[in-house]
Amino acid sequence: MNRLFPLAVVLTLAPFARAADIDFNRDVRPILSNNCFACHGPDDKERKGKLRLDTFDGATKNGSLVPGKPDESEFIARVVSTDENDVMPPAKTGKKLTAKEVETLKAWVKQGGRYATHWSYVKPARPAVPTVPLPTRNPIDQFILARLKQEGLAPSPEADKTTLVRRVALDLTGLPPTLDEVDRFLKDTAPDAYEHMVDRLLAKPAFGEHWARMWLDLARYADSAGYADDPLRTIWPYRDYVIRSLNANKKFDRFTVEQIAGDLLPDATDETRTATAFHRNTMTNSEGGTSDEEFRNVAVVDRVNTTLAVWMGTSAACAQCHTHKYDPISQVEYFKLFAFLNNTEDADRSDESPVLPLDDTPEKRATRAEYEKAVAALRGVKVVDKDDAAEVKKLTDRLTGKLNALRPKVTVPVMKELPQDKRRVTKLQFRGNFMDLGEAVTEGTPAALHPFPKGEPLNRLGFARWIVSPDNPLTARVTVNRFWEQVFGNGLVRTTEEFGTQGELPSHPELLDWLAVEFASDWDVKRLLKLMVASAAYRQTSRVTPELREKDPDNRLYARGPRYRLSAEMVRDQALAVSGLLSAKVYGPSVRPPRPSMGLSAAFGGGLDWKTSDGEDRHRRGLYTEWRRTSPYPSMITFDAPSREACTLRRIRTNTPLQALVTLNDPVYVEAAQALARKVAAHGTTTDERVVFAFRTCTSREPTAKERTRLVKLFEEAKAEYVKDAKKAEAMATDPIGPLPKGANAAELAAWTTVGNVLLNLDEMLMRR
Amino acid sequence: MFSLADTTRRHFLGRGSLGLGAVAAGLLNGPIAAAPEIKPADNPLSPKKPHFAPKAKRVIYLHMSGAPPHLDLFDYKPELVKRTGEPVPDSYLKGRRFAFTSGVPKLLGTPQKFAKRGKSGIWMSDALATMHGLADDIAVIKSMKTDEFNHAPAELLLFTGHNRQGRPGMGTWVTYGLGSESDNLPGFVVLVSSGVQPSGGANIWGNGFLPSVYQGVQCRSKGDPVLYVSDPKGMDRDLRRKTLDALKDLNSLQADELGHPETATRIQQYEMAFRMQTAVPEVMDISKETKETLEAYGAKPGEASFANNCLLARRLAEKGVRFVQLFDWGWDFHGTNPAEDIRDGLTKKCGTVGKPISALIADLKRLGMFDDTLVVWSGEFGRTPFREGRTAGGQVLGRDHYPDCFCVWMAGAGVKRGYSYGETEDLGFAVAEKVVTPFDLQATILHLMGIEHTKLTYRFQGRDYRLTDVHGEVVKDILS
Repeated sequence: MNRLFPLAVVLTLAPFARAADIDFNRDVRPILSNNCFACHGPDDKERKGKLRLDTFDGATKNGSLVPGKPDESEFIARVVSTDENDVMPPAKTGKKLTAKEVETLKAWVKQGGRYATHWSYVKPARPAVPTVPLPTRNPIDQFILARLKQEGLAPSPEADKTTLVRRVALDLTGLPPTLDEVDRFLKDTAPDAYEHMVDRLLAKPAFGEHWARMWLDLARYADSAGYADDPLRTIWPYRDYVIRSLNANKKFDRFTVEQIAGDLLPDATDETRTATAFHRNTMTNSEGGTSDEEFRNVAVVDRVNTTLAVWMGTSAACAQCHTHKYDPISQVEYFKLFAFLNNTEDADRSDESPVLPLDDTPEKRATRAEYEKAVAALRGVKVVDKDDAAEVKKLTDRLTGKLNALRPKVTVPVMKELPQDKRRVTKLQFRGNFMDLGEAVTEGTPAALHPFPKGEPLNRLGFARWIVSPDNPLTARVTVNRFWEQVFGNGLVRTTEEFGTQGELPSHPELLDWLAVEFASDWDVKRLLKLMVASAAYRQTSRVTPELREKDPDNRLYARGPRYRLSAEMVRDQALAVSGLLSAKVYGPSVRPPRPSMGLSAAFGGGLDWKTSDGEDRHRRGLYTEWRRTSPYPSMITFDAPSREACTLRRIRTNTPLQALVTLNDPVYVEAAQALARKVAAHGTTTDERVVFAFRTCTSREPTAKERTRLVKLFEEAKAEYVKDAKKAEAMATDPIGPLPKGANAAELAAWTTVGNVLLNLDEMLMRR
Repeated sequence: MFSLADTTRRHFLGRGSLGLGAVAAGLLNGPIAAAPEIKPADNPLSPKKPHFAPKAKRVIYLHMSGAPPHLDLFDYKPELVKRTGEPVPDSYLKGRRFAFTSGVPKLLGTPQKFAKRGKSGIWMSDALATMHGLADDIAVIKSMKTDEFNHAPAELLLFTGHNRQGRPGMGTWVTYGLGSESDNLPGFVVLVSSGVQPSGGANIWGNGFLPSVYQGVQCRSKGDPVLYVSDPKGMDRDLRRKTLDALKDLNSLQADELGHPETATRIQQYEMAFRMQTAVPEVMDISKETKETLEAYGAKPGEASFANNCLLARRLAEKGVRFVQLFDWGWDFHGTNPAEDIRDGLTKKCGTVGKPISALIADLKRLGMFDDTLVVWSGEFGRTPFREGRTAGGQVLGRDHYPDCFCVWMAGAGVKRGYSYGETEDLGFAVAEKVVTPFDLQATILHLMGIEHTKLTYRFQGRDYRLTDVHGEVVKDILS
């Protein structure tokens, strides 16, 4: 601990201490929202007793709330009532206010019962950066330190260089640093060596691959159409678009507009049209007997909900069936948003049309037209003679074959606006039922949110610009919070998916706003990330003291460096990288790395097993793995990768025995251990040297003497076993990687494989330091 | 003991490249606390108390994927038999759509012979010959009604409380609510027969927005019973133990140095994985069952049959697995081929499940587990009281999907025995009384497990979600 704040003082301050003054948004709204708004909120159809508690006017209308007088306020009387018929919330809801909550409500009424707009609907203003007595690296630290001081905590020291080089490489590129990269940084004594290393990482193609993962979760990107039969679909050019855009550091506002309305941009290109596949990642239902119009509507609903959730942290889904119970979106307003997205050509067709061909040329098109003409002509020929008929059929088949070979192979489903004469009229759908329709509605945005930008067209393009409008209080906050969550393990608003009244409040509201304003000034993602990883807060050691563990178990205050488990993709990529197996190939069709056969088929669909890809495609980064929604890659699912049927706003990190079975026994990881063993056995001359090399290759750091000794012991134990049993040794050293290298000793390689198997399962491999 | 508090501290301080940053002042000013004994974070799977004393300690859920023709099994409609071949009255068709039928179809009474079975006199057809013996054990609900008439959404609604993907399944909710009783087997196991995933896919036992630790684990009869449970070829159990010992030592060093409870949890999880490696293959190996038992179920070691899965369900239940879910494909009786004929085809299909289910219940009774095990049998919806449109001209008799009426039954813990609940009207087009929705069924199952369904919630995207959404009433009449 530190001397400025003796322990006794520390313990008297709760980590999220509250000021005596009641703050409506911080203290009162969560109580009302969780307990009252469902029946006394914005939804006038469900409102009970004509009482509205989400506005000052509503609450004070019939004396339910009497400002300054809790004892005269009926709603206070009701929440403290002991009469089962009177008490609020009603007994049958199973909810009951705590004594503390009641006290808060009374104190609030006493102080005037003032309401305030929910914090996230107020546009962020650049807050003053607090001055702190400790030296800092950038403004992030000033906000963090100011808060730590308030909580009576001190920051942790900077982590050592080997920890940092690995931490930042994993966080920015999803891959561990190579030993050369580690050594380069360790030797670089320049004061800005760290910043230079960060720049090198940001410039790597691996950067875009890593961050695409997060975006693809949001985009619900998968290589299949979903639902019961879940057929494969070609949409990987969208995945490549995301990687390219991130690597090119495309401005986030442009990135946004391209994905929502790239086809409507005045400077639209194949690239911006490909971007619109963002909303073609919705599922398509080809199960027999299903209605295309029903599932087209489902897709549009998904697009509305996903757009608001991804960019604005707003769960609008409730308003599809009824006016939102917590947030200011009425059902009519929901369908006004729906209208923006309701006029594209796609209609739940099994061919995924419209698609954009990406490998077509005018020449190919011209040749196809000729072949088509010839085939049509042949079909028109009337033949009587049997031989002639056979001849015509042969010719037709040949031409058709050639024609098919000329058709574009690389396509991507896109958003394409319907022509004027075919536009759909959007109608309110009662209880979200597409067959139970109400009044017609036109495009528009919710009244309680920021205004639609002046001069923009009232269509998808205008809607996209509304999302990145400088007046939008949410997009920049939600986005910086999402990046922060990736870097620091938790969002400043922990509910990254929910910024509305039901979401958690930010732990550092001023920092969040400062970052949001900073980000919205240029929408530069790489600059934002660099700011975060360059902060002293990020660079602290992740060592946690007993005091910190007690006081701030989840590291919400950042008195230590972030430490959390790697994502599913990173666990895989790291194993392949350290063993030297990882393919550096970027982009292209999705691949099929080895996985166990399940012997199952989809209901009404084909088999779910696959034939493993050849060559380097066995060892591509995880994000290139074919993502079939009903049977996603099992080892990645075990590490909390989602099925991508719907937008995933936040992956939950778990720690389970099934994960241990993957990294211990999955042939992919066994092969990695074998490859690592071959590298290690070829290095140096002594067992000690090899252990150090193997350990450093995996963790970037030197093992301690204890660690080294323990691994040497394991190697000797394993070797003794394998020397006794040549058959076992051979299996351990070669299955599945392949035959022993010339002159290699099987027992030795098998023992190194055993060591590699342990190294790939080290706690610090799964949870970087 | 490999705890190295002192060495760790020396190691920490002694490292050459501490790279003292500007904020290192804290370190220079203060001593480093001695490395503590790190306690693992709470195991999310440790058993939790139910809301009230449960009747059922475990559930074995048998799902007939594809929707069995209830009118040919449990719901006898003599009036419909009488009027077979008549056009369906307009009133039943107005404003309706069916999956594969348009125009005016013809009424179709059951070709199966029905009779009252057992002392309780529950109606069952001859197709269920192998289940007649269960008549006095089960409670049939004949008044089920769902909103969905396609397989995937209907299965999702039944098991996750929502017709689209993304919500946790019933077994996942139960595991989230009650934890797991086993320290070497998963708390929630799924077994699939007939080689086809259910239409709702793995979402049915998926975790949705709950942490993945609660999701169902699919066990298989071929290959690894649980994925990756076998050690690599060339590594025996003894060496696996040695590797885990080494790993434990190294990870303990890490826990001591950095103090993260998650590291201690990880050490425990690796130990559980090691135990699973023995326990899972053991429990999944039915070859050690007696010949009589295998014959009673009709099970054959090595097959992925429903019979094997029923036997496995009993073995898993005995070992403390709380929720076992079986899916059997092949109940989609459209009449597009003889196997889908509601005459012989249905009788044959029922034969493949009736025997093992009867054996399972007899076994549970023998083991004294029938009183605290809940067995559920269901389809995702019902089938039409008329011939399916596409196949109406053919020789094979089939029925289309029908959401308004279907049957499920429950047996065992806390459920009346030999009981029939609810009725459909004379032609079987609508529930006449006591409608039970999937939400009601879910609420009832949770109730039997000691869970008040309105109180088992999880906050996601700003809302407290629950399995039964905003619906569900416990079907009190069927409780014993």
